[in-house]
Order: sequence, then structure tokens, then C-alpha cells
Amino acid sequence: MMRFLSKTWLVMIATALLQGVAAAASFTASLDREALTLGEQATLSLKFEGADTQNPPGLPAIPGLQFQYVGPSTSFSFINGQTSSSITYNYLVIPQRDGQFTIPAMRIQVGGQTLTSNPLKLTVTKPGAPSADDVNAGNEVAFLKFVLPKKQVYLGEPIVGTLELYLRDDVQNINGFQLTSSPTDGFSAGKVIEQNNQKRRVQMGQRTYTIIPLALPLTAVRTGPLTLGPFTANLGVILPGQNQGGDPFFRQFFNQGEQRQVSLGTDPFSVEVLPLPAQNRPAGFTGAVGDFTMSFSAGPTNLTVGDPITARVQISGHGALDAVTLAVPDSWQNFKAYPPTSKFEPADQYGFAGTKTFEQILTPQNSDVRELPAYTFAFFNPDDGQYHHLTQPAIPLTLHAAAANPLPATAGNRATPENANPQDILPVKEHLGTLAFAGTPLLAQPGFLALQAVPVLAFLGALVWRKRTDSLANNPRLRRQRAVAQLVATGLNDLDKFAAANRSEEFFALLFRLMQEQLGERLDVPASAITEADVDNRLVRLGASAATLESLRELFQLCNQARYAPVRGTGELNSLAAKLKPALAELQGLKP
Amino acid sequence: MKLLLTITLAMLFAGNLWADLAGDFSTANEFYARGKYAEAATAYHKLLGTGAESPALWFNLANAEFKTGNLGRAIAAYRHAATLAPRDAEIRANLQFVRNQVQGATIRESRWRGWLGTLSLGEWTILTAIAFWLALALLTARQLRPALATRLKTATRLLVALTLGAGSVLAVQAAGHFSARTAVVITPSAQARSGPFDDAQTAFSPHDGAELSVLDRHDQWVQVTDGSGKSGWLPLTSVEVLPGA
Repeated sequence: MMRFLSKTWLVMIATALLQGVAAAASFTASLDREALTLGEQATLSLKFEGADTQNPPGLPAIPGLQFQYVGPSTSFSFINGQTSSSITYNYLVIPQRDGQFTIPAMRIQVGGQTLTSNPLKLTVTKPGAPSADDVNAGNEVAFLKFVLPKKQVYLGEPIVGTLELYLRDDVQNINGFQLTSSPTDGFSAGKVIEQNNQKRRVQMGQRTYTIIPLALPLTAVRTGPLTLGPFTANLGVILPGQNQGGDPFFRQFFNQGEQRQVSLGTDPFSVEVLPLPAQNRPAGFTGAVGDFTMSFSAGPTNLTVGDPITARVQISGHGALDAVTLAVPDSWQNFKAYPPTSKFEPADQYGFAGTKTFEQILTPQNSDVRELPAYTFAFFNPDDGQYHHLTQPAIPLTLHAAAANPLPATAGNRATPENANPQDILPVKEHLGTLAFAGTPLLAQPGFLALQAVPVLAFLGALVWRKRTDSLANNPRLRRQRAVAQLVATGLNDLDKFAAANRSEEFFALLFRLMQEQLGERLDVPASAITEADVDNRLVRLGASAATLESLRELFQLCNQARYAPVRGTGELNSLAAKLKPALAELQGLKP
Repeated sequence: MKLLLTITLAMLFAGNLWADLAGDFSTANEFYARGKYAEAATAYHKLLGTGAESPALWFNLANAEFKTGNLGRAIAAYRHAATLAPRDAEIRANLQFVRNQVQGATIRESRWRGWLGTLSLGEWTILTAIAFWLALALLTARQLRPALATRLKTATRLLVALTLGAGSVLAVQAAGHFSARTAVVITPSAQARSGPFDDAQTAFSPHDGAELSVLDRHDQWVQVTDGSGKSGWLPLTSVEVLPGA
């Protein structure tokens, strides 16, 4: 049955369309609104009557306007035997800016004929609060107002602004409320909270409006003259439909009303943010603004140096509790203070009232501490414009020195009755102390062991030196041997110098003495007693070579001759010195 | 110049390192103060993982381990601390306190060992070295200046005696450190077995924190004996082996 009805309906539509083509075609453009505020939307309809179009026509580009195709709708009529059909293509017109816009005439080719639409004008205005006249006249379906309880606030002072949404009495329902702009420069803004429980109705002119308050928590963060708003919003309202005839009983069930998109705006709101007064500002003030009370507790109060004390500070009241911090007073310098933890329990939906609890861990640094000094919390009350402070008196403490705590009953440490039964371990150490890097013990380190050889070697060196010294002291001949060797070594150098300077007298004197000293040492007789004769008589027995003996003999003779004729040339002196050196060297090697 | 630069950089590096470690140490202490003992123990372990150690670091780790309920690990850490600072009364007090919590048989340090332990191995080493150097310095001086021999006689004898005495103690301490070992049980349900095998018969069950003498070692097992003469094999995962008896 249903299939049959559908087919019949399609046949009728097809027939009508075919007849419609034969009729005169037309193309009409229309806007559902000629004026709207920025944020609102209009609907552009392109209607083709008696024309067979398959696709939605393209629209001209208009700066400042955006078109969004929605879809087609068709209509079919059969009046007095005449059939007509039309198809309408619908577009959303979304303005991007305010101003006057013209949608020009459009020419469309359909079925070999050119159809031209009419031009359209659209006025887009900026959002703003409606005029009082419009409101009183009941022309405004809905409008928005921004209310702030004060025109002057202090820096850091929390305040709740209210966006009041006014709805005319014929608004059946609303949907899609959305803030499109909420300028709050200089303020820290919280989340907008709808306050349905504070709805109220007011009479404005001849109409009644319902006010829906929307709370906007604000905290001033910058001083000076500031502006809040204009706030703008979009809202869908449902108004009674245009065709509301008929039985009211049925109307209430079947009439769904007409939906309209409205754009709302407020006037800008000027507010002055005052700085906190510098005069009488307490020393411990950390920027808390509001009206507060404080409770303070600390424990344990009987403890050992290094044990932690938990100081619990509760700040309650209304104000910018989020910004309230706990400052460690200078008077707590005998305590190590760890960064405090905090927990906030709000008492209102804005976070501007409640209790903030701080827990501060403190550890006394020495046993001289007798109390936890007084704690003062300072705040600025914007209601009276003055600073206030809340003081918690000092809390007495009983401290035991860590060293006086129970020591183990190990060797050299006898437990006293006081500390015989410790209840717990001693607390942690506060300071890291001297660091070492774990590794091989000093005893097993090669460098350390090698270093221990130094005193041993020094001692052995000294021992050897002592032995040699003693040996020398107990052996005069050895001592003479070394002295002569030293004398010969320096004498030979001087000999060269005398030869170079051609000082023959000193040369021969020294030459003679060197031979005497060396021969005397080897023959163990006084040097002054040595003569040329000793060379032949005694030196031969020591095993001296013939060449050495000859050299020594010659040198002795030359020395004797030089006493009478000392002048000689440098070359001759040098040759004599060269002769002496090997002879003395051989003598030093002879065993006495 | 290069040496000076190297030394300067090394000092700067050491200074920064100490500051970093001190900051981490303070953070770990904060965990402890807030009652987050496990986090504190982890933080102290992390510091020790850098290779740096100090008596305070081991002590605090021991405290955190004790508060976490790990008696054995606490005792081991206290013993490490005591090795570095043997005369620290707080370390000795806490070690004794934790030892008192340990149940069952455990070996105890002998009195003379306790006395020797008044100085650490490093301190005995330094003391012996100082006496040794001074004694040899006097002996060397006597060789160089025999006239001083009479005046230095008593001092030399005393120093030689001190060197020998300290050296003897050092030898004992070194032997204890390098050869003898102590195993501290660090698990609550350790089972010493008759052989170094998982399926060997249970010999005895030492408690967490029991200090046992190490007799032998085989792969991942240590043979231990408690104060009552029982012996058995424990896996290395159940104990922390420390130097010294």
C-alpha cells in the first residue's frame, strides 16, 4: 500500500515539473533579514520557479560575507487545474565584519534561457547594548548587560562581575548561548558560571524580562584605568511561530515556535585598579588581598635536634586565596625550613572564599632552640583599604641535643637510665658532609705504597753516606788520596790557564807541586820530600811504566831548569802540561 | 699553564658536583621529613650511584631503609656509614637500635674488634704511615747528624714502637677488610640451605637484619654461619656482603 502511494506521488511530481517547464521561468533572490549584528547569520534563498535546475548556482565572492550552502527545498502547487513547482537553494550568510553589503544581481542560464535575480542589500552592525528606547519599547528579544559592583578595585582584589542575560517574556526557550568575545585585559578571569538559582524578572517598559545572571570571577592583575568588555555572545531564542492561529489547546502541543539567532553585546565597562598602598605595608606582607583569619598549630614540641616539626597554618576568609603564600619569617633562622605544601578548600564556586592550609616542615638546627618563634600573617583588606596582621604567639619547644640521645651499649659507652630505652632512631643528618669517592682503600693503592719507599730510600741513602764518611774519617791515606786527587784536578786546570797566559814561573811552580803531591801520596811520604831521585828509586817498585818515568824525570828537570831560565813560550808550556796529565793519571792508578 | 687550567677546571667541576649532590641530598631529606621514606631511600641510593659517599649519606639511607621496614638494608647502610666515620655516636646509636630490633641469632662484634674499629682502615693506614715516616726521618737524621743520636734516641724508639704497633693493628684490620666478610640478611624470609642449590635442604632461616660470617662463596651463593654455629648457603640476592668481620 505504501509503495503504491509513493509511486503515485512521484508521478504527480514528475507531471507537475514537466508542466512547470513549459510555463514562464523566474529566478528570485531573497534574504530573511536585511539587517543583523555581527555574529548573527542570515539566510539567502535563491528560488527558481518553472525552471529545471540540477545544481545549486554559484554565488559571487563578496568581501566580508561568507556563504555556506545549506540545501534545497522544493514546493509543488496545484491550483485550479494549474500546476506550478519551484526549487529553492538556501545559503547561510555569515558576516565577517560590519558594514553595508550588496549581493548583486545574478544571471543564471537555465534550459536555454537566461534568468536574472534582483540585487539585495544587507546591513551588518557591531554588537552593543540596545538603546533604552528599544528595550522599553519591547523591541529587544534578548540583550546582555555587564554589571560590576565597584568601579574601583585594588590590585589583586578578587571581584565577581555579572553578565545579565535579559530574555523577553515571549521567549519560549533559549539554546546555544556562547560568549564570542570577553575582553578582560588587566584582569585574570575565571570561568563563567550560570546562576540559575538567582533568576529574576523585571518589568521594563511594557514588557517583562527574565534575567539570567552569569557570574564572571575577576582578579585585577594590573593597575590603572582598565576596560572590561564589550562582551558579545550568540544565543538561539525560540519565539512563538508566525502562524499561530487555531485552537490554543492544539497550538500548545503542536506549535514548536520559531527559532531565531540573536547576537548580544554589552557596553564597555570602565574600572580603575588601584595599587596597594605603600604606606604602613607590613614587613612580612606577601601580597595577600582579602579578609582573613588564621589558625596555627605545630608539633611535636618535645623532640630532638634534627627532628621535623610540622607547622600547620590555616588561612580562612574571602579574597585571593589562590595567591596567598606562606613566608618563612626571619625569626625562624634556627630552623631548616622545607618548601611548604598547601591545600585549598574553596567555600564558594569562584574560589574567592575558603580555607588554605599550609604545612611547613621545620627542623631545629641546634639544641639551644627553646621555642618556635611567633608567626605573623599580613594581608591587605580592600574593604577598609588597610593592612592587617594576624599573629600566632611563640610555641615553647623542648629540644634534646642529638648527641645526648641513646648511645649503644658498646665498648666505651655505657647507657644511662635516661637513654637506656630509646623509642626511635635518631633523625637524619642535615648536611652531606665531606664527600669521598668509593674505591680501593688507601692501603691498597699503588701510589700510596710507592710513596712509602721514599723515607726508606732516604734512610738508606743517609746510611750509605754515613758509612763512607766514617770510612774516610778512619783512613788518613784514603783521605789524602782524595785530597790530592781534588788538588790535581783543579791544578791541571790552573796549569792550562798559566800556559795560555804564558806565565811560566807560576806554571813550573805548580807543575812541580802537582808532581810532588801526587808522588808523595802514592809513595806515602811528605810531598815536600819528593825529588827527582824518588822517581827512579821508589816509583819503579810500584810498577810505573818507563814512559811515565821518563816523562816525570823530564818534567822534574825542566822545573829545575826553569828556576834559572823561566821564560818559555805558550806552545812549549802546553806540551808540558799535556805530558803531565797522562803521567799523573797513571800514577793515580798505581797501587801503593 | 695547562696544568693550572686543568686544576682550575677540576676544582670548578668538583664544586659544581658537590653543589648538585648537596641539592639532591636536601631533596631526599625533604622526602624523609615528609614521611616519604621509600622515595627518600630511592633518592639516597641515586646519590650513592654517582660513586660519591659520605657518612651522612649512608646514615640517612639507613634511616630511610629502617623507616621503610628494611632492617637488613638499614644495618648494612649503617655499617657502611660506620666504616667511614667509626666514632660517630649517632651512627653507632642507630645501628645499635636497629640491631636490637633484629630477631634470631646473629654474630656480634668482639670487644677488641670494637676497639680496633675506633679508627677506620684508612685512619689506621694514615696513622701507621705517619709513624713510619717520622721513625725513618729520625733514623735518617741520626745518620746525617750523629751528634743528635743521643737526643733522638727516646723519640726514635717510641716512634719505631708506634710504627710496629700501628702496623700490627693495620695488618689485622686489613686482613679483616680484605679477607673476612660479613653478610647481612636483607630479605624477610631468607632460607640458608645445606648446599649452594635452590633445591637443597633448608639448614636454618635467618631473620631480616641478621649479620652472618661468610665462610665461602660459590657462584651466586655465600656460605654463612650465624652466632650459634649453624651454617648454610644463602643466595646473594638475600644478603648484602660487607667487608670486615
